[in-house]
Amino acid sequence: MAMPVSGVPAETPALQLPAGHVFARVGRAIRSNHKATVGVVLLAIFILIALFPGVIAHESPTQDAYAPQLGISTAHLLGTNHYGQDLYSQLVWGTRNVMIIAIVVGLATTALAVLIGVAAAYLGGLADSSLSVLTDVLLVIPLFPLLIVIAAYAQGGTTLVLITAITLTSWSYTARQLRAQALTLRNRDFLEAARVRGERRLYIIVVEVIPTMTSLIVASFLTNALYAVLFASSLQFIGLGDPNTVSWGTTLYWAQNNAALQTGEPLWAIAPGACIAVLGAAFALLNYAFDEIGNPALRPVRKIRHKKGAEPRV
Amino acid sequence: MRRLTRYGVIIAAGLLAAGCSAGSSSSSGSGSSGAKTSTSSVLTISNENGALWTCGFNPLNASDTLLSVGFMYEPLVYMNPLQDGKTTPMLASSWAWGAGNKSLTFTIRSGVKFSDGTPMTAADVAYTFNLEKKYPALDLTGVWSVLSSVTATSPTTVVMDFSTVAVPYFYYIADQTPIVPEHIWSKIANPTTDPISDPVGTGPYLMRKCSPANITYTANPHYWQPGEPKIAKIQYPAYTSNNTANDDLANGNAQWGAQYIPGIQAFYTSKSPNFHYWFPPTVNVSLIPNLTNPLLSNANVRKAISYAIDRSQVSSVGESGYEPPANQTGIVTPTFSSTVDTSALSGWGNGYDPAKAKALLASAGYHMGSSGIMTNASGQKLAFTVINIGDYSDWVASMQVIQQDLKAIGIQITPDNLSNTDFDADLYYGKYQLAYYDQQTFGPSAYYELNNWLNSANTAPVGKVAASNYERYNSATTTALLNQYATTTSATTQQSIMNQIQQVMLNTVPVIPVVEAVDWYQYDTGAFTGWPTSSDPYAQPSAYEYPDNEQVLLHLAPK
Amino acid sequence: MRYALRRLGFFVLTLWAALTLNFLLPRLMPGNPALVMMSKFHGELSPKALNALEILFGVNTHESLLGQYFGYLHQILTGNLGTSLDEYPASVTSVIGSAIWWTLGLIGVTTVLAFILGTGLGIVSAWRRGGKLDSIVPPVFVITSAIPYFWVAMVLVLIFGITLKWFPSQGGYYVTTDTPGLNFTFFQDVLNHAFLPAISLLITTIGTWILTMRNTMITTLAEDYVRMARAKGLPNRRIMFDYAARNAILPNLTGFAMSLGFVVSGAILIEYVFNYPGVGFMLLQAVSGEDYPLMQGLFLLITVAVLFAILVADLLTALLDPRTRAAG
Repeated sequence: MAMPVSGVPAETPALQLPAGHVFARVGRAIRSNHKATVGVVLLAIFILIALFPGVIAHESPTQDAYAPQLGISTAHLLGTNHYGQDLYSQLVWGTRNVMIIAIVVGLATTALAVLIGVAAAYLGGLADSSLSVLTDVLLVIPLFPLLIVIAAYAQGGTTLVLITAITLTSWSYTARQLRAQALTLRNRDFLEAARVRGERRLYIIVVEVIPTMTSLIVASFLTNALYAVLFASSLQFIGLGDPNTVSWGTTLYWAQNNAALQTGEPLWAIAPGACIAVLGAAFALLNYAFDEIGNPALRPVRKIRHKKGAEPRV
Repeated sequence: MRRLTRYGVIIAAGLLAAGCSAGSSSSSGSGSSGAKTSTSSVLTISNENGALWTCGFNPLNASDTLLSVGFMYEPLVYMNPLQDGKTTPMLASSWAWGAGNKSLTFTIRSGVKFSDGTPMTAADVAYTFNLEKKYPALDLTGVWSVLSSVTATSPTTVVMDFSTVAVPYFYYIADQTPIVPEHIWSKIANPTTDPISDPVGTGPYLMRKCSPANITYTANPHYWQPGEPKIAKIQYPAYTSNNTANDDLANGNAQWGAQYIPGIQAFYTSKSPNFHYWFPPTVNVSLIPNLTNPLLSNANVRKAISYAIDRSQVSSVGESGYEPPANQTGIVTPTFSSTVDTSALSGWGNGYDPAKAKALLASAGYHMGSSGIMTNASGQKLAFTVINIGDYSDWVASMQVIQQDLKAIGIQITPDNLSNTDFDADLYYGKYQLAYYDQQTFGPSAYYELNNWLNSANTAPVGKVAASNYERYNSATTTALLNQYATTTSATTQQSIMNQIQQVMLNTVPVIPVVEAVDWYQYDTGAFTGWPTSSDPYAQPSAYEYPDNEQVLLHLAPK
Repeated sequence: MRYALRRLGFFVLTLWAALTLNFLLPRLMPGNPALVMMSKFHGELSPKALNALEILFGVNTHESLLGQYFGYLHQILTGNLGTSLDEYPASVTSVIGSAIWWTLGLIGVTTVLAFILGTGLGIVSAWRRGGKLDSIVPPVFVITSAIPYFWVAMVLVLIFGITLKWFPSQGGYYVTTDTPGLNFTFFQDVLNHAFLPAISLLITTIGTWILTMRNTMITTLAEDYVRMARAKGLPNRRIMFDYAARNAILPNLTGFAMSLGFVVSGAILIEYVFNYPGVGFMLLQAVSGEDYPLMQGLFLLITVAVLFAILVADLLTALLDPRTRAAG
């Protein structure tokens, strides 16, 4: 799992972009920030592969149709595994399961986090205290052991079980960030104006507050999607997923069960892990880039080709 | 900045130094010359048990039998399942059945001593059996379901009377019951829960030292067979993962393996010319139809399923070729080949015949539906769920092959991989459509497995626990045949009955054997001789089979 | 003082929540432990013995849920975590005891090292903004912090354990040849076996320290008092350590404890790949062996350990940083 990287302590939110200008500025920011460009490109590639796997991989991933343990060739780009399945097509077709988990959990968890975080900030009083306590408690309980225990009692999870379990347990980190953000906005002038106008609280929350938190929400989505991929793959890897689904984590599970590293089939184990690493890197790079876009202090300093004598200072 | 780099470099250098020095000293040791860890008379066993040792050695406690029977405790007679039950007298020097096979008399060997010097007599034998009667939790093989009394009529004679004639129970009585010392056990408050951490028995080894990670056995100097055992010391480490256990075999740290090793050529046998393996088949791993299911109650449907499965492919892909294909008679070959009714089997034809399978389905009134699934006139589809144990990755892989084979003839099966507990619950209570499993008990002839499958005494209606006849097969004629087998010691009668049972298997297909489960066994001929092999199958070779393990230990000698 | 009390109160609350979670979860999944033992014995155990084992395990209970709950709480708080199914009849506490030192050693040493090296590199890279180090460090470590722990472990096993054979890739020590104790061969063997797992954990956890430290340093360096120190003409090294780093490191400490949860998760996966006999590996064994009492006990242990570490870190921060005390 990746640990949370905070540009600044979680309580202090990054700079926010007003709703209307978001897309134009984000687009420009992504193009100018190298990390963001790489992240977006990688993510786009994975999404395309998940949507249209048949385009680049023709063989069925589950059919034990080929001779086992073939090496790399043009017919089998990554060789075949112990059961005679084509490893390359397993990875390509497995992308769909991974992306579904990443996106669904990312959206669901972020939605849950927004709901709880913003509600806590706006309802205030007892509701705020109890929601905050709930958030904090779930924040400190180590999530992966909890997921292991839940999956163990559920006798191993289908994709749906994994999605549900991960969503229900990992919303607290981003909920805390969103709550802190919402708190600072509470007393801003434009919200005071809306209140004076007589708008209902729900309207204020949905129409005025949430759009100003867009970049933090996007960042939350990226964080949650990253954790979803890592948690789900790890659970599948240790055998708590459904071994009959085609996914990177389950391919790793079969590789580990067949001692792929020790029996001279290292690609079987290394390749799916590499895919997870690349997808994870894409999310992480995008997230980091968003941090930088939001907090100009973190942006990389470009050394200006300067005139003699003067040196740029931070 | 400079201070930091200096410290950083020192720390890194220190780590590297410690790592390298440790690494270099062990890499010389962990090389393929296995003998580094053993003087030539220390045998190390590699049998992954998934847990650490609890250092209990109660031979009548199911969790400890593995570590005590065969080492410290012995049975009356050894029967070799791989040689049709060939007998080797152990603590009993001879035996005889009484009239009508209603009683069994054993002559107990004299001159045998327990490891504390006390002589072993018929009284200890009678005591062991009566202890099992008093504490049913200790009666692991259920002998008291057929016995009525066990008495020591002299210091060397034990007479057993039967309430029901049950000749096959000789195996459970003589081979599967370890004899315990009366003078020690009569003082134990609760023999069911006592761990017996200081075991005293008649066997060839003593338990010298036990820690959760490793058990050390040393030779019993007062063992009753002269010159035995020839190996002075045995190490039995507690492996919690398959990979570690396999690793120790591959680098020679262990010489006697009882392991499932994936890719065994690359992993193990290629590492040394002394590394060998042999997997003798024991019971059938079968696709079990729930005969109360209306669609599966049709014998033609079951026959079609049997013809549709490419057993050689299941064996080679799902089981890496370790478990040979089974046949529909249910007789495991080559272990019990002499029992096979070869003409009946050849009448059955080639076991893999998709065309014949489709013809059988047609005769049962099925046609290919629009979804690619066979449908009958009333619109019922041949689509089933099959329960499997999710932990056994080779069974899961085998089921994938079976699934593809059945799809080719229009039968759709959906695997449901369960945990051990859930699977057992569903199977025993009959809450499944198809299941994939093997019998849990094994005996010195094909009768034991088929009796488990087919005897109506071993079944129960759906909703109640079926002991071993999970498919709910109920036939009065078959049961009568099997019970008749249990009353006779005549080999000709037994074979004639087995032929009729094979006809039942071929004609009604109550279960569908797919592959044959095997004993896992690896051995290193560089350090020891006397191993059981396919040309010399003097015992079941796995370290977890008892009391066969004792036979192996008595044959082994340092090179 | 109020701050300390609040943190202590929070600790107790989360402990209670973890205990209750532990109690409720298995109530959703009843199972017969005797069946578990039965299916483990593929030998000559007859089905009739099922009854015999049920006698041994005593599965039937008639108490109400609330009654069970208070009984459970009482049992746990008196230190009785039950009996392990896999290692019957050993108690859960004794089984855990054998594994806990391995994990403490692995995690403890590696995390401290990662913290020291990581914050060090973070400080340096922040100080030299725009330099070579700074352009390499963030992207590289952003990527390493997103790599799954078990993948790094597998790559190391492949390269150093199998191909080069420099280090063993399985286990904690050679069980048959070494006697655990204070002797040099044992110690050397342990180090040998611990090397690859420790490096895996180090590689994957160091990234976060570097990046977090770097980011907090950058913000701190923009503060007025740093500018003042520079204006006074103090040497760079002095400013970096005595002024900036000291203030930047404290928020890091809280982050250290929070991410302990992730370090534990990583340790579980790394122990799994290396079959390293720690509590993480034992948890996964308990799961696959359906040893529910042991699994519960381990979950509790891990949670309590993490909670305790967070409490200690919070109190330490309060002690060292007056700002938190005032805010508290």
